[in-house]
Amino acid sequence: MSANAAIELKNISKYFGGNAANKNVNLTINRGEILSILGENGSGKTTLMNMIAGIYFPDEGQIFIDGKEAVIHSPKDAFRYKIGMIHQHFKLVDVFSATENIILGLSEKGRFDLKEAAQRVKEISDRYGFEIDPMKKIHEMSVSEKQTVEIIKVLYRGADILILDEPTAVLTPQETRKLFSVLRKMREDGKSIVIITHKLHEVLSLSDKVAVLRKGEYIGTVKTSETDEGQLTEMMVGKKVSLNIDRSEPKNCEERLVVRNLNCVDREGVKILNNVSFTAHSGEILGIAGIAGSGQRELLEAIAGLQKVNEGEILYNNPKTGACDNLRDKTPMQIRDLGVRLSFVPEDRLGMGLVGNMDIIDNMMLRSYKKGKSLFLERKGPRDLAEKIIKDLEVVTPDAKTPVRRLSGGNIQKILVGREIAASPTVLMAAYPVRGLDIGASYTIYNLLNKQKEKGVAVVFVGEDLDVLIELCDRIIVIGSGSITGEVDARTATKEEIGLLMTKSADSKGGQAK
Amino acid sequence: MKKILAIMLAALMLFAFAACGGNNATDGNATNGNADLKGMSESPISEVALNVDYEVPEDFKIGFICLHDENSTYDLNFLRAVDKIQEKLGLKEDQVIVKVNVPEGNECYVAAKDLVTEGCKVVFANSFGHEDFMIQAAKEFPEVEFCHATGTKAHTEGLKNYHNAFASIYEGRFLAGVAAGLKLNEMIEAGKFTAEEAKMGYVGAYTYAEVISGYTSFYLGAKSVCPSVTMDVQFTGSWYDATEEKNAAEALIAGGCKLISQHADSMGAPGACEAKGIPNVSYNGSTYESCYETFIISSAINWAPYYNYIIGQTVKGEEIAADWCGGIAEGSVVLTGINQDVAAEGTFEKIQALVEDIKAGKLNIFDTANFTVGGETLNSYKADVDTDAAYTADTEVIADGYFHESEFRSAPCFDLRIDGINLLNEKF
Amino acid sequence: MKKMNFHIVKREPMVWYKAVLVRAIAIIASLLVSAVVIMMLTSKNPIQIYSSMISGAFGSSLRIWSLFQNVAILLCIALALTPAFKMKFWNCGGEGQVLVSGLATTAVMMFLGDALPYPVLIIVMLAASVLAGIIWAVIPAIFKAKWNTNETLFTLMMNYVAIQLVAFFLKYFVKSGSGILTPMPEHGLPVLFGQSYLLNIIIVAVFTVLVYVYLKKTKHGYEISVVGESENTAKYIGINVPKVVIRTLVVSGALCGIAGLLLVGGTNHTISTTTVDGRGFTAIMVSWLAKFNPIYMVMTSFLIVFLQKGAGQVSTDFRLPSAISDIVTGIILFFIIGCEFFLQYKILSTKNRKEND
Repeated sequence: MSANAAIELKNISKYFGGNAANKNVNLTINRGEILSILGENGSGKTTLMNMIAGIYFPDEGQIFIDGKEAVIHSPKDAFRYKIGMIHQHFKLVDVFSATENIILGLSEKGRFDLKEAAQRVKEISDRYGFEIDPMKKIHEMSVSEKQTVEIIKVLYRGADILILDEPTAVLTPQETRKLFSVLRKMREDGKSIVIITHKLHEVLSLSDKVAVLRKGEYIGTVKTSETDEGQLTEMMVGKKVSLNIDRSEPKNCEERLVVRNLNCVDREGVKILNNVSFTAHSGEILGIAGIAGSGQRELLEAIAGLQKVNEGEILYNNPKTGACDNLRDKTPMQIRDLGVRLSFVPEDRLGMGLVGNMDIIDNMMLRSYKKGKSLFLERKGPRDLAEKIIKDLEVVTPDAKTPVRRLSGGNIQKILVGREIAASPTVLMAAYPVRGLDIGASYTIYNLLNKQKEKGVAVVFVGEDLDVLIELCDRIIVIGSGSITGEVDARTATKEEIGLLMTKSADSKGGQAK
Repeated sequence: MKKILAIMLAALMLFAFAACGGNNATDGNATNGNADLKGMSESPISEVALNVDYEVPEDFKIGFICLHDENSTYDLNFLRAVDKIQEKLGLKEDQVIVKVNVPEGNECYVAAKDLVTEGCKVVFANSFGHEDFMIQAAKEFPEVEFCHATGTKAHTEGLKNYHNAFASIYEGRFLAGVAAGLKLNEMIEAGKFTAEEAKMGYVGAYTYAEVISGYTSFYLGAKSVCPSVTMDVQFTGSWYDATEEKNAAEALIAGGCKLISQHADSMGAPGACEAKGIPNVSYNGSTYESCYETFIISSAINWAPYYNYIIGQTVKGEEIAADWCGGIAEGSVVLTGINQDVAAEGTFEKIQALVEDIKAGKLNIFDTANFTVGGETLNSYKADVDTDAAYTADTEVIADGYFHESEFRSAPCFDLRIDGINLLNEKF
Repeated sequence: MKKMNFHIVKREPMVWYKAVLVRAIAIIASLLVSAVVIMMLTSKNPIQIYSSMISGAFGSSLRIWSLFQNVAILLCIALALTPAFKMKFWNCGGEGQVLVSGLATTAVMMFLGDALPYPVLIIVMLAASVLAGIIWAVIPAIFKAKWNTNETLFTLMMNYVAIQLVAFFLKYFVKSGSGILTPMPEHGLPVLFGQSYLLNIIIVAVFTVLVYVYLKKTKHGYEISVVGESENTAKYIGINVPKVVIRTLVVSGALCGIAGLLLVGGTNHTISTTTVDGRGFTAIMVSWLAKFNPIYMVMTSFLIVFLQKGAGQVSTDFRLPSAISDIVTGIILFFIIGCEFFLQYKILSTKNRKEND
């Protein structure tokens, strides 16, 4: 036992159904240290931290805090041990101010004093260099501000062990840098910081030590200064993997999909797409970069016929007939009937792209079940397709009759992408297709997209990881608050350049792509 | 697995104890423990002993079909009579088969048929809507006697083994009405309201003759001692709907009614009266135990004399009348005791005297001299007595200066809207 | 500090024979517990009570016929509700849909019974009944599809409207003023082989298979599942959701129409406000217990009718208040529904774990 160990986990195991999410994990978190928990999706990082934060209770093993055994049944218990966790999904009340959210649920003795609380919030943010207005309402905040509120909430409750679950997933490069500097200040203050992540370069730039988990098991802890990307990847994946994407030069580029002056509003009448124009060429991967929620989803859904368009046009040049069709105000069915072979891998896999409770075969039918005049379903074709995708994409599943929701994220995505590609599309739109996927699965998806591009498909790729966008795409357009804020050549652009475009205000000039 | 079982058992035990607890609570609320109260008197009608002049064979069985169960005061009244006759005749448990919660539909026919299969010689059903299904069964099993309370079709259907029965409950209601009128008089004298304000409220189920006959006789009873009285009637559209009956009673009280009576089977109206402190004349049985501050008296039909009659006739091999209507003399119409803490002074004696008059035939409830319709005294009225396709008014029912209720058939047929009674809604 | 000493964990799916075993244990346990409760409350011998229950359901050919007739009607209503439920459209209006169908059947029997030749009459009865059921089911569906109204409340309200409609009908068209309409068996559905309930049972058996095939094997059934699982997915693949909602409720209402026809034309030959007798609600339980599978619904409707019949016989045989038999029924259902929990979750003791360490 090291002298400054804050938390020690001994032989922790947690099972969901028959699956071990964590198995015999031993881990030490020291004071005044930033520890990265690194692992692929589904490796049990979040589950493990949730047990420290009182969300789950371990099935086996013990947790020691400052050398004494602790029983943590609830987040309240965790706070008693000065442990606070910032979850990936924020738990804030939209109509309350930052301060109100921070003190929500606290039962302090004495009179309730909002002003005093705001003062303390201010003190905390000054100390670590947060930028926050204590009286600002949550719904007026950006994602990064909301994250700040979550962090202060935990500090306000006196936490000196902070666990952050994928904190950079929603941040721009600039915001990430700011967050890291805050975290370093906290470390200097003697706090223990744990960040859960699967991004290697973050691990290397921020943390002191890295603990690696693989398939629920603890692989080991290494000092950041003594390791490199290759070693960490190998620890994570269990074998050597090459992290290169073979990007070919675009061939036979034709204008396949032309979007002109697209305007959309949401239910409340707030503008979500503002004069968006771009062109997707065949044989090319067009990347769309932007902070999450900047209108990417609506843009793709508008093209797919799922989002009402207020203004503008969506033109599709049919390579077979040479006709040019306007897809605006058409339902998905009508688009299909026009002979437009548009495939769409939506961001919400189980909520939109697939039906979780249905088996793989029935999910294969989603796009094609209507074919033919018969009243009855034809399951032979879908079954063959399911078997083929399971084989070709190495989907891990007991059989084709397994409900999709029982599969892991990567396998779910393989089925979705596999199905969309099987329709031999001319346009393939993919929103965050590798979110939550492990490295192996991610590269499978990248390769699939590349193959489609080589086949002459116009690929539209909405991504969040700028490193990947730069490596995978040919051109990148950047979307900020519903407007196109710029277009860059992926082969020459830098992350910082794209990051700046992401935060560029909507009404600044140059909102249209060339 | 054992562990799971243990947990489930534990959960169930808790559930079971909760259920027991519930039972005890209802048993326990009967006593009110107030020593100052004078409590209930004897019934002003002396009990008529059942006259048993036959031997019941060992293999005799009788079956009863009830619409609801003991939670409905209407059915409880029938069930109590079943217990009474069973005790009196010393019938064994398997000689008396009771089916409760039998709906007014094909299920009634199935139940009747089932009772016949079980060996019942007599099958009795208690709800008006059972009639058609009893007739259906009667046609199928001519060797079994089918008796039906409150029905109207026996005298026209012409089946030898199908019979209707009722009681001249209007006599009982009239007497209860007298108690109500005396109570109003007492309150007028005490200066609580003027004679002109003496208005009663009545919660009825439907606008059927049975209900009209009931509230009219109740009103006439009150009017015989308190001439200025008027009455509002509110219908609920259901024989058993505690909420609606409570609401109706509360609406009547809010409308200025000083005393409430009802012809519906739940505790809704008596409960509302107890809560508001308004005197209540009940029906089907005493509600004294839960409403001892407002209960005055209740009239009821005692079905035991009819059961005695049909069992006797069947055992003796004699014919059962197509229509049978028992009155005070037969012991079919009874009154509960009088709540001496609420009823007016002298109620007991007054009712006792009137009982003798009724028995002697000196008092006709629906004497045409005592009521008017549209301001005029009636000399002639044709009522729809016979059930036929056209439902025509077919029988002259006024003769000798009074309306001959329950004479041409057992079920009531008095459906006149007499003056002094105001129907608040007729939608049912 | 006092702590919970157990926690609940989701378990992996059980092998089928284990699942059957758990259910069997649940039923046995429910009978044991009921036995204890019966003894505590009534001092009666539980074996007698159970044999009385069985005799109430199977004691004579009449009882068996009546049992299956009741199963048929309940199953028919449950079948009607199931497509809507699979679509997560909470149709609580079975009661009203069946009642108006029954009313339509009654009206045809009453007003056209003598005017039309018998075969035509039957066809008109069928058409009227099905049409009435469809209208009653489709109104909330249209409102849901167009204005996203809450279908649970809407369908519940429609039940009351249906009841009042029947009350109105009886008040104005029953000339005796008694509110009781004399049965018209002469205008009822044909009686097969002298067994008055056989036709009902055969029709419902056929519909059970049809609904099963409809839900599992047809494109419509597939669309229902997709809409029920995720409306977003349905839109994504181009399903016209309002159209599917309305179409499914047409199917639902039509089946309720069949139930109304069987109930009035094939059983009661008359109508009252209580003709459906709560079966529109019991059917919800039948459908849920069977996890919306029509074949399992045969078993669940049988179970519920068996318990009802058995409970009725118990209160008849022992002259117990019917509340006692309701308690027994409640205990049995509690165990059967409760064991589903144990099929999906297991309870682990935190205390034991530490002692083992």
